[in-house]
Amino acid sequence: MNKRMKRLALGAATAALMTMGSFAPAMADTVLKFISWQTDDAGTGEWWRSAIAEFEKQHPGVKIEFTKAERSSYADTMTTLFAANQPPQIVHLASFEFQMFADSGWLEPLDPWLKKDGIDMTGWAGQQKCEWNGETVCIMTNYFGFVMAYNKKILDAAGVAVPKTYEEFLAAAKATTKDLNGDGIIDQFGTGHETKGGPGQYLTEMLNYIIDAKAYWTDKDGNITIDTPEMVEGLTRWKTVMKSGVSPVDMSASDVRKLFADGKMAMRLDGPWLYGTTEKGSAKSDIVYAAPPLTPPLGGSSNVLAMPSDIPDDQKQLVWDFIKLTMTPEFQRSYATMGGNTPPSPKADVSGVEKTIPHFPILIQTMKEAAAAGIDRVPTGLELFYNEFSKMVMEETQRMIIQDLDPADVAKTMQAKAESIKG
Amino acid sequence: MTDTVQAGRRKFFDLARPSRQHLLGYILIAPAVLMVAAIIIWPLVLAIDLSFQQVKIPRLGGASRPFSVSNYTWLFSSEEFWLACWVTLKLVVVVTAGSVAVGLSTALLANNRFKGRTIARLGMALPWAVPEIIAVVIFAWMFDTSFGLFGWLAIQLGFTGQMIPWVSSSTAAFWAVAITMVWKGFPFVSIMCLAGLQSIPSDYYAAAKVDGANVWQRFRWITMPLLMPVLGVTLVLTLLWVFRDFSIIKVLTGGGPLRSTQTLSIMTYDQAFQYHNFGRAAAVGVLTLVICIVASLLMLGRRSKSIY
Repeated sequence: MNKRMKRLALGAATAALMTMGSFAPAMADTVLKFISWQTDDAGTGEWWRSAIAEFEKQHPGVKIEFTKAERSSYADTMTTLFAANQPPQIVHLASFEFQMFADSGWLEPLDPWLKKDGIDMTGWAGQQKCEWNGETVCIMTNYFGFVMAYNKKILDAAGVAVPKTYEEFLAAAKATTKDLNGDGIIDQFGTGHETKGGPGQYLTEMLNYIIDAKAYWTDKDGNITIDTPEMVEGLTRWKTVMKSGVSPVDMSASDVRKLFADGKMAMRLDGPWLYGTTEKGSAKSDIVYAAPPLTPPLGGSSNVLAMPSDIPDDQKQLVWDFIKLTMTPEFQRSYATMGGNTPPSPKADVSGVEKTIPHFPILIQTMKEAAAAGIDRVPTGLELFYNEFSKMVMEETQRMIIQDLDPADVAKTMQAKAESIKG
Repeated sequence: MTDTVQAGRRKFFDLARPSRQHLLGYILIAPAVLMVAAIIIWPLVLAIDLSFQQVKIPRLGGASRPFSVSNYTWLFSSEEFWLACWVTLKLVVVVTAGSVAVGLSTALLANNRFKGRTIARLGMALPWAVPEIIAVVIFAWMFDTSFGLFGWLAIQLGFTGQMIPWVSSSTAAFWAVAITMVWKGFPFVSIMCLAGLQSIPSDYYAAAKVDGANVWQRFRWITMPLLMPVLGVTLVLTLLWVFRDFSIIKVLTGGGPLRSTQTLSIMTYDQAFQYHNFGRAAAVGVLTLVICIVASLLMLGRRSKSIY
């Protein structure tokens, strides 16, 4: 019995020593956790990886663990990590979700870091959205403008010109929506809107029509401005589009993009990321990008980089070095060349990008137009309640469509409910 | 003297002695009890504690907020909570009834002798074996409003002239969720009932036949009474499953449209992760737990009477 015990103890000690030995080199490295939903995005994922590779080259012994979390559950994942005191060192968040983290005091104010390195953020697109309670808590990574992509073959077959206004857009969408094989099921749509991706996405899709009608949820001081004739017009347009059957319903964004990329849809209003999907679609050669017929173009802040306030100082320095690296003119340029995105830095040299991405000048143009018009998806004054607000608007809009309600009455209801949410 | 003390200690720790056997039992189950306490009881205590605090996002190890019943006050005065209770109740009744009807019917069928019975039994259990999330994604494709199989079938069979908006109509969305849940839930009822049916002695049926009882009478007076103990437990387990199920609704409808499929579990999730009101979410969770306990006690308390 004793012998057996001794053998067991010896075996366990050897195994423990061997295991510890194999961990030793890993423990010597500092590992920074970086969670993102963009790891597999065509172009953008590669851009992040190139920044990580450069950072690791500049910081021997420091590794960045780049992990994917699905966009649909991203906010849940980050909330859980922060609540469990285990936030990633490099914090990547959507521009409509960082406010809750900032409001809880979990994001490090970046003004001292910017000041220390003498970084001037003047002209950095969308950066003002990163200010929370008078402090800069993040760096805007992406600011975009919507474009319209259309299938030339489908428009030509229907004898329709490229639309320049909402009325032309609706007419073109109706003319190109068809049941091609006569089985009673529409198999070619005029346009497509995502209505299954959650309230935030639903509002983004609606907003195309609402800002074209010169309406918005709040004014620049944060007052609710829903009960206006312009908003009634915007809601009427959305209701018309959704009820006329020109868009498939209950589809996720990726399904809608795939339908368009495969030639089952005539027109699609979308951000710069559509290009990655259309490049892989079977209708690639028929797809053309143009300025959207709805003006000003929908656009705004997309995602931000930040750092947690309660990590050790040496890690804060490393995280700041990484953020700073992504802000350099070189990486801002490769954000365009590699990722096909519009870089927010005013110093980014984007000359020649159109050689690889022909519609890049349109992306820059719509981004600038959206920025000039002060367009953003997150309404001023409702940042902390965006999820609740967007769910309310989505529900009231669905009610309007399902129960065929008057948009004027719906606008009144939304106004009252929005004021109640804001408190 | 020392020998006497050592002998006494040895006697105390002699777990083979009949008087010490209960001690051995406690020692053996201690790791499992501690594990259960760590993963069930501790979070439960945290949730109850959280439900009495006005907290947006809590932080592990963070300072507690003052005691408050405001989450419960909000809950009972909230239209959303009562609507979620109503939707949950509707879903529990419809899905439990549907699962029992389909499950019992298939069990009765599979209990007969016929060619291909093994394959039929295998097919019957298949939905239970498919992981829930995969089953729901498949159903989501079939219920797709633009290209889904069910819409296409409805057109081909002449029930409608256009695709059915399964997820953007309140009534259709509720039935889409209910159908998916019945499909996923009936095999469990079926397997349990089949086990119950096989334990009924065939002599009872033979005697009833001699007495001239027809099929319905045999089912009514032999099968059902003897199946009730199994069916009772199955009903409680099915009911609890419908109560707590989240993934089917979340993937199919997300609780919409117009909250027509928002159950208490979806409401808990929304309050926690959509609106970041963890205090309120904990309050919904605690109340759901209380409702589940009461429902289970009521159902398990009704012991079926054996008539034979």
